Amino acid sequence: MSNKSTFGQIASGVSRRAFMVGGTAAVASAAVLRGARAQAATKVQFMYPVGVSGDINKIVSGMVAKFNAAHPTIEVEAIYAGNYDNTEQKVITSLGVGDPPSTWLPINSALQTFLGLDSLADVTQKAKAGDIYQDFLPQFLDTCVSDGKLYGLPFQPSTPVLYLNRTAMKEAGIAKAPQTWTELLEVAKTLTIRENGELKRWGLTIGGGWHDWIFECYCRQNELVPWTKDKVLFDNPAALDALEFWVKMEKAGVMPKASTWEGSANDFMAGRTAMLYHSTGSLTNLRKSSKFEVDVAFMPKNKVFGAAQGGGPIMIAKKQTDAQLEAAWTLTQWMTSTEVQSQWCRDTGYLAVRKSAWETPEMLAYLKEVPQAKVALEQSAYAGAFLQVPGYHKVREYLKSALDRTLAGEIKPDAALKEANDASNREIQRLLRRRG
Amino acid sequence: MVISTALSARIREAGLAYLLLLPSLAFLAAFTYWPILRSIWFSFHDVVLGDSKIIWLGLENYQRLLEDRLFWKAFGNTAFYTVITIPLAITCALLLAVALDSKLRGMAIYRSAFFYPVMIPSVAAGMVWVFLYSASYGPINKGLSLIGIPDTAWLYDSKWALPAIMVMSVWKYSGYFMLILLAALKLVPSDLYEAARLDGISAWNRLIHITLPLISPTLYFVIIIGLLHSYQIFDYVYVMTHGGPADATNVLTFYIYQNGFQYQDVGYASTLANVLLLFVGGLIAVIATVFGRRVHYLGR
Repeated sequence: MSNKSTFGQIASGVSRRAFMVGGTAAVASAAVLRGARAQAATKVQFMYPVGVSGDINKIVSGMVAKFNAAHPTIEVEAIYAGNYDNTEQKVITSLGVGDPPSTWLPINSALQTFLGLDSLADVTQKAKAGDIYQDFLPQFLDTCVSDGKLYGLPFQPSTPVLYLNRTAMKEAGIAKAPQTWTELLEVAKTLTIRENGELKRWGLTIGGGWHDWIFECYCRQNELVPWTKDKVLFDNPAALDALEFWVKMEKAGVMPKASTWEGSANDFMAGRTAMLYHSTGSLTNLRKSSKFEVDVAFMPKNKVFGAAQGGGPIMIAKKQTDAQLEAAWTLTQWMTSTEVQSQWCRDTGYLAVRKSAWETPEMLAYLKEVPQAKVALEQSAYAGAFLQVPGYHKVREYLKSALDRTLAGEIKPDAALKEANDASNREIQRLLRRRG
Repeated sequence: MVISTALSARIREAGLAYLLLLPSLAFLAAFTYWPILRSIWFSFHDVVLGDSKIIWLGLENYQRLLEDRLFWKAFGNTAFYTVITIPLAITCALLLAVALDSKLRGMAIYRSAFFYPVMIPSVAAGMVWVFLYSASYGPINKGLSLIGIPDTAWLYDSKWALPAIMVMSVWKYSGYFMLILLAALKLVPSDLYEAARLDGISAWNRLIHITLPLISPTLYFVIIIGLLHSYQIFDYVYVMTHGGPADATNVLTFYIYQNGFQYQDVGYASTLANVLLLFVGGLIAVIATVFGRRVHYLGR
């Protein structure tokens, strides 16, 4: 039955005046209801970034719309703020004028920065009241813990993984993913293609922009966590060994000196590089947008397997009304609930934070179809939090600059790491001095 | 009596002048002079964005700056960018303006075409050039491969990234400078050219001895504007390279932004901003002294 005929039947059975009056009353009552909801609803903002490739913005705004529909007393405004850096800057600027968003999603390394600004709500007791300590995967929950207190909940944890162009590997006669650094170099050599001296395909690309994160993974594969709470250890021989291996790969002509985060993902999808270190959060996009078979493997080990835990938690502002705090906590719990996390993981490739989310029927079916999705979870058993030091931002830039300049051949690895180490520790000391 | 009437009229006139100036002065004071004073004050302190605690440091930030390798790198990059881009853009603009000053058919279309890059938003233009410069599939590499130049990742190569941005800037600014110079050319009396032509003066000599001296006030203005633009370059760096690779494209304004907003180190960012302000101010003073005196003002 078409809409037109329905309207015609109604119009013919009811007088025009009665119809108009009824219609007006319906519209008015709807407006009153909306007004009542607007009055009763607690308004909170959720500021979030998009830190990987793909259409994540649309997914998050869809999730928030779903939350709003299911919670008539809360009205969440989803604010897309750019990348992690942009989001952090916007939150910090709004903290400066005393009007922060209720919740936001920073990179987990920003924990100490926000604690330094005394801006985070301690949710330890709230979390203990529920099943959070029992059901959340501890390696992810740990990224929100400082001095035994919980600040926010992990939402989109990730680690770098090694993406492989399976089709290219088959063509080159390579049966399995490289397991060690030595194998990685050999496989990268085999997969690099040059025609008449001109490069057609890199064997390997390390996703630029976050290559310091990947470098920490390399340090951890050398049994070094390159930082403590109040200093970095970039001048440690294990870190130097890792950087010297990067230089070796670059000199062997199997990987570019530099790349960008989005550009390296695009290069992989376009077949310009056969292997790629990138976030597990890019899995769905890389898998769906590549015209070849995409495989995922552990990052190869040296002494041990190792990874640095990236991604972000949802943090809650300390200075807001009790009603807003409660609403923000409801939102945070909902975003990290079993069903939502299961769906989020399948949509993006980020790791679900709850054990139960990995056991839903939909997730089990998905893992059967896409076994690659589980690689990062298994690898996270070897992972620890990424660079939890005050002033992590500047420290990252010092390290990235050292890595870039070394690969560009401008400076020797040991001098570069020493310089980055000293500059970083000066910055950390400056910030610790502020805290007294 | 007469004197006092004249005096009160002058006072009224001055009062009205100040009243009319007040709105713009208030804006300037609030958004320019006050921030400058505040940034001078901040440069002697440890100030963190989002934190109300301010710690007195004395000259520590300035000492840090002297030892900061990245500051000197950004300073060098900015100076290199200015020294190459401004003369190149102005020369291109001048040649285009002279060419477009003739009476050819469809001149309006040419003028619009050369001015078009100016109208494109910087971020959009930056994104387009990222594509143009792409390795392998970028049109620039495709074109260069026809003449045997090997594929280069222009924006990822620390040798080429800054020159690549400079080429784009010349493309973007030449049209703007061209339009200003074209307006100046229109004011040069045509009888001077006719007289020169009758005397058998070549086109090159007419350009050097008639055109350039007579448009020198505008040229002077364009140089100052170009200089200010070059020390404000930020958007292309942000969009195209983010200061990389290996800090090869990190320029002073971008470094200030990084310190102030990314690292929340407002005290040090203020120090950098003050040094930039002093340097650009000094440079303009030097140019005004050296070049400003050579400017010919028609009829004076």
